[in-house]
Order: sequence, then structure tokens, then C-alpha cells
Amino acid sequence: MITTRNLTKRFSNGVVALQDFSLHIDKGEFVFLVGPSGAGKSSFINLVIRKELPTSGLLKVGNMDVALLKKNEIPYFRRNIGVIFQDFKLLPNKTVYENISFALEVIEADTREIKIRVNYVLDLVGLTHKRNEFPSELSGGEQQRVSLARAIVNRPHLLLADEPTGNLDPETSWGIMELLKEINKRGTTVVMATHNKDIVDRLRRRVVAIENGRIIRDELKGGYSLED
Amino acid sequence: MKIRTVRYFSREAVRGIFRNKLMSLAAVGTITMALLIFGGLYLVTSNLQYWGQRARNQLEVRAFLTKNAPDRQVMEERLSSIPGVKSVKFISKEEGARILGEMFGQTDLFSHGENPLPDSFNIYPVRGADVEAIAVKIERISGVEEVVYGRNFVRFLNLFVRLIWIVGLILISLTVFAVLYIVINTIQLTVYARRNEIEIMKLVGATDSFVRWPFLLEGIYLGITGALVSILLLFQGYTILYGKAKSFARILPVLSSFEVTMDLIVFLLIMGIFFGALGSILSVRRYLKV
Ligand SMILES: Nc1ncnc2c1ncn2[C@@H]1O[C@H](COP(=O)(O)OP(=O)(O)OP(=O)(O)O)[C@@H](O)[C@H]1O
Ligand SMILES: [Mg+2]
Repeated sequence: MITTRNLTKRFSNGVVALQDFSLHIDKGEFVFLVGPSGAGKSSFINLVIRKELPTSGLLKVGNMDVALLKKNEIPYFRRNIGVIFQDFKLLPNKTVYENISFALEVIEADTREIKIRVNYVLDLVGLTHKRNEFPSELSGGEQQRVSLARAIVNRPHLLLADEPTGNLDPETSWGIMELLKEINKRGTTVVMATHNKDIVDRLRRRVVAIENGRIIRDELKGGYSLED
Repeated sequence: MKIRTVRYFSREAVRGIFRNKLMSLAAVGTITMALLIFGGLYLVTSNLQYWGQRARNQLEVRAFLTKNAPDRQVMEERLSSIPGVKSVKFISKEEGARILGEMFGQTDLFSHGENPLPDSFNIYPVRGADVEAIAVKIERISGVEEVVYGRNFVRFLNLFVRLIWIVGLILISLTVFAVLYIVINTIQLTVYARRNEIEIMKLVGATDSFVRWPFLLEGIYLGITGALVSILLLFQGYTILYGKAKSFARILPVLSSFEVTMDLIVFLLIMGIFFGALGSILSVRRYLKV
């Protein structure tokens, strides 16, 4: 699903967010990205969705070389990828319902189908009662769940979750993890950046640890840190 | 594009306006101000033009006949057949004497002697602008002794009418640029406030045109609103001024608001739509590069 070879990202201000980054993630895998703040986790996600362009090296998503995507292909490419953004990226002038349905409006889905699917994911993340609120009227955790609902409503092949439990209490966090596991079981590849040691240690999935933009550990059924 | 997507766009545009009330208000306000300036310029220009044209259309050519000129019917035919002539009016030497007499306040101006005045014709042109050309042709007709018309006045009027046009056009074009700059800046500000929205939409898989359409429609709606407000204000204002000016109407003819209505409404609506649409397109474009 994702293949990188010697991938490097250097921002215009000189900061190197990723370097010599080689990784292969298979279809259907569930991968944790761990590492200290500033390690490059979000940068990796931004490269995968072609928000940023690689400075050098190869990045393939599916069988697409991301650097070779044409401008007008990018929207269609992104529609196969669901992203839970670290900063949620909700549309401030749209209600919860409209934020989620937006992902289906862009693919011009039928009205009826939109209604069914949005109501379904609203129920999944437990926000049916907040459907008509605006993001500014929600708590951080609620906004995060809206971002999650929008990311999965389109049934993407690849789900990128950037700290999806960052603002949630332990109980809600585990609820969200159950959801992600379920989505993964149905065939969606899940890549999750997290600082949540508890979750990583208990789930025992593949762990890719990053530090200063380099992969320092890649372990099947790993723990949050080496000692675990 | 599906029909329902089109409907989605127009709904989005309306929502965009009402969910960004302050910004929408600023945009409508700017467009209204801009169109008020245009409308005002247009009203002044078209009234000046109207005065010039009216004065020109009251122009006449007088042709005095020779003593041995052919009789009245023949002369009338010769004069009427000149292209651009609307009508001719015969003025006999007796009538000429009477008119002259009235001017001097005497009825018996030539009563003791022979009337020295020649017979004459008043010739009215279809278009006031042609007076000079017609006069030249009349001079060449046999039987015509002398041709009189307000040569300098005609030249002045022709120049005046043309000048009004040119000055009006220059003023309007200059203000178009100044005003366009202001309007685009305002709309750019409203879009700038929503640049994050554009970025998010693109990250969720929206195409450029999917993002652009609601903004474009929004701009058009705001433009139409601005146009309607300015039309209302202009006509309200003009009607009041017209009522005041009508009492001087004989010396200072003014177009009634009905006479300027259609042109101005169409002009302002087109301008409003143009400003709104162009402003939106230009502003959205720079944030689409995500
Ligand atoms: N657009 C940008 N321009 C310049 N530098 C950037 C940009 N985005 C990220 N960086 C830098 O790249 C480095 C990696 O940042 P990144 O956001 O990928 O870290 P992270 O692993 O996601 O951290 P966290 O766990 O805090 O979210 C940081 O030093 C950051 O300052
Ligand atoms: Mg991050």
C-alpha cells in the first residue's frame, strides 16, 4: 500500500523532517508510527496525501508515484485515503453533519446514500446528538471523532490517523481503537501516529519508531519503546 | 456535473453568505459604493448628452430665395429631396415681415414702402448633427440666394456632445480600475478569512472547480445584491432630484427616471455580477494550490 525508498523531506526553512526513510507497508496492515514530538510522523502523513512533495527519494501509494501525480489527479487520488488530522481540519462554517457529508459531496454521491452513510458513521462515533452543532461548539475529543467519521465515511483503502486518541479519555480512546481495528479487519490499511504508550503496548501491532526523521526501529508486534 | 451538485453549489453559496455575515456585508457595501459612483457618472453623462442632443435637434437652416426663384412647390420639392431633411416650412415675405415686426414690436414695419424681404424656407434636419452638411447642399440649389444657420453654435454643440461622451467614457474607465481594485481587495479579504476552508476541502478530495463554484456563485449573488441596493438608492435619489429639476425643465431639460431605467439597471447588474465573480475567482485561485 505504501512504499518509500530513501525518502527525504527538507522544508524551505531548512528543517529536515524525514531522511533516508525506507519503509514498506502492505495492504491490510495495521501500523503504529511512534516517536517523540517533532520526529516527523505528521510530515510523513502529509507526504502520503501529497500535501507536501518529497525533496528526494521514492514514495509510492498504491501503485502511484506520488511525486508524479498531475495536479488534476490529486483530488481523485486523495479520495482513496481517509485522514484523521492531528488538528482535525474541520470546516468551521459547516455543521458536524455537513462536515462529514462533505467527503461524499465531493464524489457526487446520491443524496439518499449520503444520508444513510453519514448517519451510520455518526452513530459509530457516538455523535448523532451533535449532528447540527458547529465545530466551535464541540469539545476537542468530539471534534476529533468528527474528523474520524469524515475519514471513514468514504470507505477508504487507506486510513491515516494522526494522534486519533490525543484528546480522548481512556474509555473513549479504546472505543475508537475498537473502531479502527474493525475497519482494519474489513480490509482497510491503517497507519496511526500516536504517543499513546498504553494502546501500542496492549494492541501488539507493527510498530515503526521514528526519531529525527529516521526509522530507528521497525518491529512486528512491537511495543511503544524497545524495552517493552 | 450532476443536477444535484449544481443545487448543492447554490445552496452552499447562500449558506456561505449567511454564515459569514460580516464579510458578506463588507463585500455588498463595497460593491454598492462602486456602483453608486458608476450610476452617478452615468446619470450625469447621459443628461448632459441629452441636453446637447436636444439643443442640436432644435436647429434649423434658413434659406432665402432669389427674386426670380421658381415658385413655391418646385422649391419645396428641391429642398425636401435633400437627404437628411425632415421637413421644410415656407415663409412668405409677408410672413417674414410679420415675424420681424413682432421682434421689433411693430406691426406695420414695411407698410409705407415695398417689402424688401425675400421669400424663405425653414429647413429642419432629421439629425441635428447634419445641419452643416445640409446647409452646404442647399447653398448649391438654384433659386437660393443665401443660407443662414448658427454655424458656430452647431460646431460647439457637435463638439460638446462628442466631448461629453469621451470625458464620460474616460472617467468611467478610470473609476472602473480604481473601483475594481477596491472591490477585489475586499473580496480577497473575505476569501482570505476562509483560506483554511479551501485547504481542507482540497485535502478531503475536492477538485478545484468543486471549491470554486460555490465561491463564484457567492460572489455573483453578492454582486447582484450590491447592484440592487445601488439601483434602489440611485433611483430614489434621482427621482427626488428630478422632481426638483422639473420646475426648470424648459431651460434645463432632464431625462425622466423612466427614460434612463432599463439601460442603467442592466449596466449596474452586469457590473455587479462582473465585480463579484471576478473578485471571487481571483481570490480563490491563490489558495487552491494545495
Ligand atoms: N510546513 C512546515 N514547514 C517547516 N517545517 C515544518 C513544517 N511542518 C513540520 N515541520 C518541521 O518538521 C519537523 C517534524 O514535524 P512533524 O509535525 O512531522 O512532527 P511529529 O512527529 O508529527 O510531531 P508531533 O508528535 O508533535 O505531532 C518539526 O521539526 C517541524 O518543526
Ligand atoms: Mg504530528
